[in-house]
Parts: sequence; C-alpha cells; structure tokens
Amino acid sequence: MTESDAAAEPLSLHRRAVAAAVTGWLGAHRTAVAAGTWAALAALVAVLAYGAVSTDGFLTVANGKAILASVGVVGIVAVGMTFVMLGGNLFSLSLGTTLAVSAIAFLDFLHLGVAAAAVLAAAIGAAVSGAQGVAVGAFGVNPIVVTIGAGALQEGVVVKLTGGRTIVPSAPLSSYRFLVTPLLGLPFPVYVLAGVALSAELVLRYTTFGRELYLVGENRRAARAAGLRVAGVTTAAFAVAGLCAGVAGILSGSYNQGASLTLSGTYTYDAISAAIVGGNAITGGRGSVGRTLFGAIVMATLSDLMLLRHYGTGAQILVKGVIVLVFVSLLNARRGGSDG
Amino acid sequence: MRRPTGRRSGRSPVRHGLPFLTLALMVAAFVIVPAASDRSISHANLYDISQQVASLGTLVLALGLTMIAGEFDLSVPATYQLGSMVAVTTGVGSPAAGVVAGVAAGAAAGVVQGLVVTRLRVNSMCVTLGGYLGIVGLVFVVGHSSGVGYPRFDVGARLEQPLVEGVISLRSLVVIGCFLAVAAVFTLTRLGPEVRATGSDRRAARVAGIEVERLLVGVFAASGALAALGGALQGYALAVATPSTATDSLIFAATAALLGGVSLRGGEGTVAGIAAGTLTLGVLAELLAVMAFGDYITSLVTGALLVVVALAGAPDLSDRLVELLHPLRASYRLRGRPVGADDR
Repeated sequence: MTESDAAAEPLSLHRRAVAAAVTGWLGAHRTAVAAGTWAALAALVAVLAYGAVSTDGFLTVANGKAILASVGVVGIVAVGMTFVMLGGNLFSLSLGTTLAVSAIAFLDFLHLGVAAAAVLAAAIGAAVSGAQGVAVGAFGVNPIVVTIGAGALQEGVVVKLTGGRTIVPSAPLSSYRFLVTPLLGLPFPVYVLAGVALSAELVLRYTTFGRELYLVGENRRAARAAGLRVAGVTTAAFAVAGLCAGVAGILSGSYNQGASLTLSGTYTYDAISAAIVGGNAITGGRGSVGRTLFGAIVMATLSDLMLLRHYGTGAQILVKGVIVLVFVSLLNARRGGSDG
Repeated sequence: MRRPTGRRSGRSPVRHGLPFLTLALMVAAFVIVPAASDRSISHANLYDISQQVASLGTLVLALGLTMIAGEFDLSVPATYQLGSMVAVTTGVGSPAAGVVAGVAAGAAAGVVQGLVVTRLRVNSMCVTLGGYLGIVGLVFVVGHSSGVGYPRFDVGARLEQPLVEGVISLRSLVVIGCFLAVAAVFTLTRLGPEVRATGSDRRAARVAGIEVERLLVGVFAASGALAALGGALQGYALAVATPSTATDSLIFAATAALLGGVSLRGGEGTVAGIAAGTLTLGVLAELLAVMAFGDYITSLVTGALLVVVALAGAPDLSDRLVELLHPLRASYRLRGRPVGADDR
C-alpha cells in the first residue's frame, strides 16, 4: 500500500496505525526483556498452569469471572500507576488512599446525582494526585517521599471530615445500580477497565502529552534541555493516576455500598506489582498500558490461586514481595556502564 | 559534576546548624505552648519522649544511613517487625540470644537487598519495596497474621524501667549507645567520609579508591541490623510482636532523617543531625499528646511535615523561586540545572 492509498482511505490508515502499534509493542518488548526475565516469566506461567490444573475449582467459568472481576478495580489503579512510572517517577505510594478518598466522596455526593458525584469524586482524585505531581515535577521532590506524606495528609483530612466512620451512600441503590450490575455476565468494572486502558493507550501513543511523557521518563535532563515542560507533563501524569484511582474508587465504593479508609487495602502495592511484573521500566521511558494489563492479570490469577488454596494474607504478601523483587531485579538490571 | 562547590560549602554551616535550631525551637514550643494553655508538663512527659526516641531511634538511624549513602531503604519498617518477631519467638529462653537472632535476620535482609542493588544496579527504592512486601509477608506468616506474645514480662519491665532521673530507661540507653557507636565509627574511621563520598558522587568515590559496592552492602546490612534491633527491643518492651502494613514508622523515620539534615540527594547528613531530628519529632509527638489533639491532627501534622521538609530540600526549589522572582528570565529553564541532580 502506498502513501496516497493510505491517505485516501482513512480506515486503512487506522489499520496501519494499529499494526504499527502492535509491532512497536513487540519490538519494545523484545529489546527490553532479557533472557532471565523470560525464564522467570516462564517459571511463573508454569506455576500458574500447575496451580490451574491441580487446584479444585480453578478451571471453571465462575472462577474465570472472579479473576476478571478482581482485575477490574486493581487494573484501573495500575493503569494510573503506569503513567507515574513511565514519566520516570517510580511509583506513587498513596494511590490506594486516593481510591478510598474518592470512594468516600462519591458515596457522600451521590444525592447530587450519579453523574455529578462521579465527576466530583474523579476530580478530587485527579486534584489530590496532581498536587503531588506539582511537587515532584516543578520542585524535583522525591516522588516516594511526597506520596507517603500526602497519603498521611489525606488520611488526616478524611478522619477529620468523617470522624473515622464508614460513609454510606447518600442515595438509594436504584440510582447507581448499573455500576454494580454485571453486563453480559461480566462485572461492570471490567468494561470500565477496558475503556480506561484503551483511552490511556491512545493518549500515550497519539497525543503530544503521551510522547512527551515517554521522553521525560527516558531522560529528564535531555527533555528539559529540549524545552519540554517537564513540570507540566509530570503534573499531568500524576493527575491521570489520581483520575484512575478516582474512577476505581467510584466502582469500589458503590460495590461495597460503603467506604472508609480501609477500602484502600493493598491496591497501592497490587498496582505497583502489576506495573512491574508487566515489564514496564521502573525508572521510566519504556512500557505501555498493555504490559500493565498483562501484569495485572498475572497477579490476579496468582492471588486467585492462593485464595483457592487457602493461603493466608501473609503468604500472599510474601509471594507478591518475592515476585516484585525478582522481576524488578531481572527487568531493570543495568548491564555495566553508568554509575547509579 | 555536582553543584559548584562554592555554593554548596557556602550553605553547609546553615545546613549543619539547622537540625539543632529546629530542635531548640521545638523544645521551646514544648515548654511554651502547654503552659500558655494551662497544661503542665512533668517527668512523665520527658519519659514519654525518651521512650519514643527509644522505640524509633534506630529506625531513623537505619534509614538515615542509607540516605547519606545515596540510597533509600523502604524496607526498614518491615525489618523492624522482623527483628521484633524473631526476637519474641526465639528469645524466650535467653533474651540476649533473641536479640542476636533478630539483629542477624535484619542484617541478612539488608545484605540480600544490598547485593541486588549493587550487583544488578537496580534503583534501591524499587528493590526495597519488594523487600518490604516480602519481609512483611514473612512476618505475617511467622505470626499467623496476628500478634505473637512474649511470656517474659520481666524482660520488658527491666528494659522500660526509668533509670536516670526517672526519664531514661535501659532501652533508651541502648539506643543512645547505638547512636554514639555509629557516630564514633563515622568520625573516627574512614567509613564516615567514604559513605558520604559514595552518596554524593559515586563515580568520584570509585576513582578515589573506595570499594563502593562492598560499602553499600555494608550500609544496607547496618540499616537492617539497626532497624531489627529497634524492633527486637520494642517486641520485648510490649511483650508482643504484631505484623502490620502501616507506614507510620516509615513516615516518622523519613521525616526525622530529613529534619536531621540528611539529603535525599545523598552525601549529606551527620549522626548528630539524625539524633536531633529524631528528638525533634519525639518532642513534637509528645506535644501533640499533651495538647490532647485527635489522631487526625497527628496524621495531618506528620504528613504535612514530611511534605514540607522534602520540599525544603528539593533540588529544583531554588530554580523555581528564581523563576518566580524573575518572570522575564524565561530562558532560565533552558539553561537547565546542575548535572547529576536528577539521577535518583
């Protein structure tokens, strides 16, 4: 197909873009992932496969749905975490708290109508996280330290406002029932995740912001020298992460029909694990939403297996920690050269 | 290739004095604020402060050491719990053996993480996040997801009994001893300058003949051992070791270290400064307790304080202020900033 053909027919242009996206993803994957990683990944898949056949009740349709359901909310947070990571800011340690904050806000604002409450809750998430992005992007504050401190700040504000009580929906279930009703046999969050992931990938690929985010993550100094607005891009990346946490909070809050700080659970660590296991470079510049989704599905399958086999909370955290440690080491080992 | 040395050394006296000035201001606030609102402070409050320092002091020191070396050990709260759990489970017959076992476990955790960081050259925050999850998970498994009690109440009683002026307990003395020991090593041997050099410019340190990798593994081992020691003593003092994923102690440690003049860029900070930072936060916590503020105030204050101290030491803060003061110098941004400031 020649250039003129492509220009004449928008649909084939689109198809070409998709093809380019797929090959780009494969290419990036091939260069970034070392042999050891494939070995670790193969080992992980082998463990999952062994678990799948040897665990009662794993290979059922119902369990498949359960896995997808658990990927839903975590996956949305993980997509947000990807933006922080791609921009070279490691990870945010307060996205789980922001999720809880947004859930509380959503349920409390429900009497204004579902749409208004959702917009407000998502906006709060974006604003809270975006403010941390300003500190990181404009002033160069360490992202980990800022997000830990901001997490404590959010907790303080929430406890002050709610008195530590669980917030219940301020409108009857009928008004937001569609958020908790399965569609075509799959939980609603799965569809939201699909939408969020698709739009996130499109933003990363085809917008100026997306391309600038990769450049800033790859080499902040060079990006700054090239005149990119590093502070703006970083702020936007954190705001997107907060927006995702906000959306996840809306879903989680309405599913639980109540919200308190405990809703944050292990979402932060699960999202980080998903982004790392998926093979995104922790120091930024390389990665995609697709990788994060892959990581989220792997981690959710693993959690599901451990649940079915009656592993305790501790064993689950332990296994996640070991996997994070192994994948962080293998995927991000620098082969000699520059000093750390 | 750092900031011009003139600028840096010009700031040094302020930087070294600041933690002690902050401490003095905090002590003044501790004396004035309760008095102004008709609350009295007693020996018991001073004892509380020293106990706060005793329970979290080694944790601050552990994190501070890795920060001076240009790394960041997120796993210290987990190592603290590991030390507590190991000591409580193995130290029933001999408390000393329990402490040794706990400290050894913490040091081992530090060595493993240090090796990954140095051999594979992976960002230490990511490695120690994995380490944090792994170690917390391990503590949960050993403790069967709940607390493990320590039957030897006499040990805790001896550790906690006020000895000096009704203020300092045996546990505080041990922690003070740790600070003195690390300070002695830092000032009397070459280790102090070497750790600082490694933190401020790793390539130059290597050129200067410092065995950077071995030194860093040692720093992580020391960090793990110190955190675990604090946890072991805490386990004995409370007569229980409880697994937890709370990040309060990490916030305390990071804030105290930053208040103590340790820089997130590495290479800056002293043991005395870290001690001052720890004491400042201990006094602040007691002040909040005396004033009987709600829990949320503590959470707000500690969170805000961490953000503020991190912001105060932020590498780009001065650039942004210059921009604000000289809005017409738009070209400032293009001049960039000192090489190396980004490489965290």
